[in-house]
Amino acid sequence: MRPWRVAVSGQSMEPALREGDWVLVLPPRRTPRAGDVVLVRDPRERSRLLLKRVAEVKDHGVVVAGDRSDHSTDSRHFGVVPLSLVLGRAALRYAPFRRFGLIPDA
Amino acid sequence: MFGRLLKPRVTAYAHCDIPCGIYDPTPAKIAADTVAKMVEKINALDKSAMDFNNRNNFVRMVTVKEQHAEICKKELQVLWSDYFKPEHLEKYPKLHDMFWKALKLASKNKQNVDAAAAGELQAAVKEIADMFWATKK
Repeated sequence: MRPWRVAVSGQSMEPALREGDWVLVLPPRRTPRAGDVVLVRDPRERSRLLLKRVAEVKDHGVVVAGDRSDHSTDSRHFGVVPLSLVLGRAALRYAPFRRFGLIPDA
Repeated sequence: MFGRLLKPRVTAYAHCDIPCGIYDPTPAKIAADTVAKMVEKINALDKSAMDFNNRNNFVRMVTVKEQHAEICKKELQVLWSDYFKPEHLEKYPKLHDMFWKALKLASKNKQNVDAAAAGELQAAVKEIADMFWATKK
């Protein structure tokens, strides 16, 4: 699997990710950990991709949440995301240049 | 060059499904106008002929006045807590005071049938609406 280049839309992951950031997402080489920012398919509509932070790791999936809970639709609404829908871990912001940097797994 | 090679092919959503940023002071204004209209209609009732039909009308007008004063409060509270941000407060230091007074006026209009108070509520809502539209420029 190749890395994904993903454009960010929305405000639920501010300040880690902002609208318009370009992000490199690496395919999962391990089970996600709490604190990872992950690219997942929306369980309600699988063609839609979401970027959220892992709040909790369950047996067969992850509970995800936006960093800004007042601006986020996440596991509170659609429940646990199965591991099969976790596409990778957001590792790096590569554009815009002034935002270049590793994505902290706070 | 940089852009074309590295441009993402997909967009991922880090947001909420509910559209943000759809705020409008118009519902508060309509509610305040309705309150004023009900006060006007109640005052125009023929108080010497309160038959059942007139009493029915009276109760309905009071009910509508009560409901729309409440709608007005709710709409104002949403603007106050959700739309207006700290940077707006910097520009409009009277912001909190304006909302507080408008909400109090809405309550006053529940308690009374008072054309002057209804007019004050309309004016207070208009002031807030003007401030709202000024932030949109």
